[in-house]
Amino acid sequence: MEKNLYHNKKLQWLTYLVVFAVLGSVPLITDDAFLLNQLATYGVYGLLAVSISLCWGSGGILNLGQGIAFGLGAYGMAMTMQMQSQAPGTIPPFMANNALEELPIFWEPFWNTGLGIVLALLVPTLFYLVFGGLMFAARVSGPFFAIMTLAILSALATVFVALQPYTNGVNGISPPGALMIGEVMIDPYSSLAYWVVFALLLFFTFAAKLLNQSRFGLVVRALKDDPERVRFLGYNVAVYETAVYALSGLMAAAAGASFAVLTQYVSPAQFEVGFSIGIVIWAAIGGRNSLLWAMLGAFMVQGAQSYAGDAFLNTWILILGFSFILVVRFLPGGFAGLVETILGRVAERKETEEDFDLESAKGATK
Amino acid sequence: MKGDMVGGFLKIRNLEKSFGGNRVINDFSLDVTECRLQCLVGPNGAGKTTTIDLISGRQNPDSGKVWLKGDDITGLGEHEIARRGVGRKFQIPAVLKGLTVRENLEVAYSRDTNVIRNMFSLKAKGCAQKLEEVAAQVRLTDRLGAEAGLLSHGETQWLEIGMVLMQDPEILLLDEPVAGMTENEIDLTVDILNRLKRTHTIILVEHDMNFVRKIADIVTVLHMGALLAQGTLEEIEKNERVRAVYLGTEDAH
Repeated sequence: MEKNLYHNKKLQWLTYLVVFAVLGSVPLITDDAFLLNQLATYGVYGLLAVSISLCWGSGGILNLGQGIAFGLGAYGMAMTMQMQSQAPGTIPPFMANNALEELPIFWEPFWNTGLGIVLALLVPTLFYLVFGGLMFAARVSGPFFAIMTLAILSALATVFVALQPYTNGVNGISPPGALMIGEVMIDPYSSLAYWVVFALLLFFTFAAKLLNQSRFGLVVRALKDDPERVRFLGYNVAVYETAVYALSGLMAAAAGASFAVLTQYVSPAQFEVGFSIGIVIWAAIGGRNSLLWAMLGAFMVQGAQSYAGDAFLNTWILILGFSFILVVRFLPGGFAGLVETILGRVAERKETEEDFDLESAKGATK
Repeated sequence: MKGDMVGGFLKIRNLEKSFGGNRVINDFSLDVTECRLQCLVGPNGAGKTTTIDLISGRQNPDSGKVWLKGDDITGLGEHEIARRGVGRKFQIPAVLKGLTVRENLEVAYSRDTNVIRNMFSLKAKGCAQKLEEVAAQVRLTDRLGAEAGLLSHGETQWLEIGMVLMQDPEILLLDEPVAGMTENEIDLTVDILNRLKRTHTIILVEHDMNFVRKIADIVTVLHMGALLAQGTLEEIEKNERVRAVYLGTEDAH
């Protein structure tokens, strides 16, 4: 029955494979270190957009505070990298400048690189599990949940600025060296760093795509429509909402950790409200209901910002806001919705043409 | 105190519920026998839908108890009550409008509700076969690919009945399942319900006495949130008190 090619599952997977093949071949084409680093950063933004598509597009949970997991993940990774460059028993210089004499206890685990990376991913995920669990069990949803995520995001930014001796406040942490995994250095300006981000983006996008097609994904899409109805089918809606929110948090944490590796810098700017809302705009412009298109939306907007943003300076934010309004008004499904509509029209036209052919063939035999 | 099984697959005792000082359910008790179709009738505002809400966990009673197969289910969450085998169809048909008919039926096949296991499962065991069967039963086989939001009113009613059938609960709570259906569609529903009640227990809220006549084993009349009368349809129709408050004077001549 399904004629619209957009809904053809095989073709969807094929499109994902082609796009990722193109993304994966970039380091084979160029060895421009600056470009590779920039494109890897886009990969991080793409991963953030995919994480928003999972919780907002699939689950209908509008999350304006994805910077929570992104920032926590970035801080975890930066702390790990910072401790890699410390001689045993020393403390980071900014702590000494802030009159600390000993390493704070919550910094201790970051001596160990493996543990540090695990914490960078685990702490934000657990935060999402607890916060999401509390909210969804109380049936907080829609705009109320979005406002709560904004509030937590702003609170975290304030906390990280206020705890100057432990976090270096607004200055943030800039580890002196690149991340070392065993003997291997992940130079942010190298094809290796690009591959790492690419591998993460590939893994999480395909995992999320599989998840969307699983029974779990079906229940999540159902509860986006009518959580009440889904409850009466025997599903614990709060658990499903918490799970999809925490999984999107894990992805954002991985994006944050990669971001710290790529920029060797983290600051409370990662908790900025504008940045988190930007992620939602990328996904909306690309198409929040499609993981792939949300990712492409991040590439488009950030790419345009890098090049057009330089030319337009502060006007850029106005252009971005205006394009968001245009998308909401005329393309509610983003570019993904546009492609879906076009392919639907093509399928319809084909169908009527076939009917017409059939009619005329009948006429001929008569 | 544990509800004994005698006389009750579902057992309701002294249920009370008020909304803003307005007593909607007033000391209501009911026993539902296994594999019977019991109709809840009564004038508007008698508390029929509220009774269904209280059984299925959408509302919690102020006092009173509900037992299912001897287990106290009062105050449990909706999903917990559903897992114990209570399925529900809403008065205003509640289907998942953004999903296709097929997806609606698939999600209603809720044998396994575990979040982790469902992450690693693409298809539920036995779902495809059941889906084919139910789709044929509710005459939606040709509409499986359609978006549920685009169905006609009658089709939407069928889809929700189909969802309840996919869920295959032990007891079905159906709130006006034939509202807005044509005569043909009603006849088909009667067929399905008469077959279903051999293996399932059904509580049905209904206004249409002609429909009730075709399916009901037992009729329970509610008035002002309390039980007014109970018995077979014949007994109910002869009952003077029922005639006075519900069937109205025009039927009393």
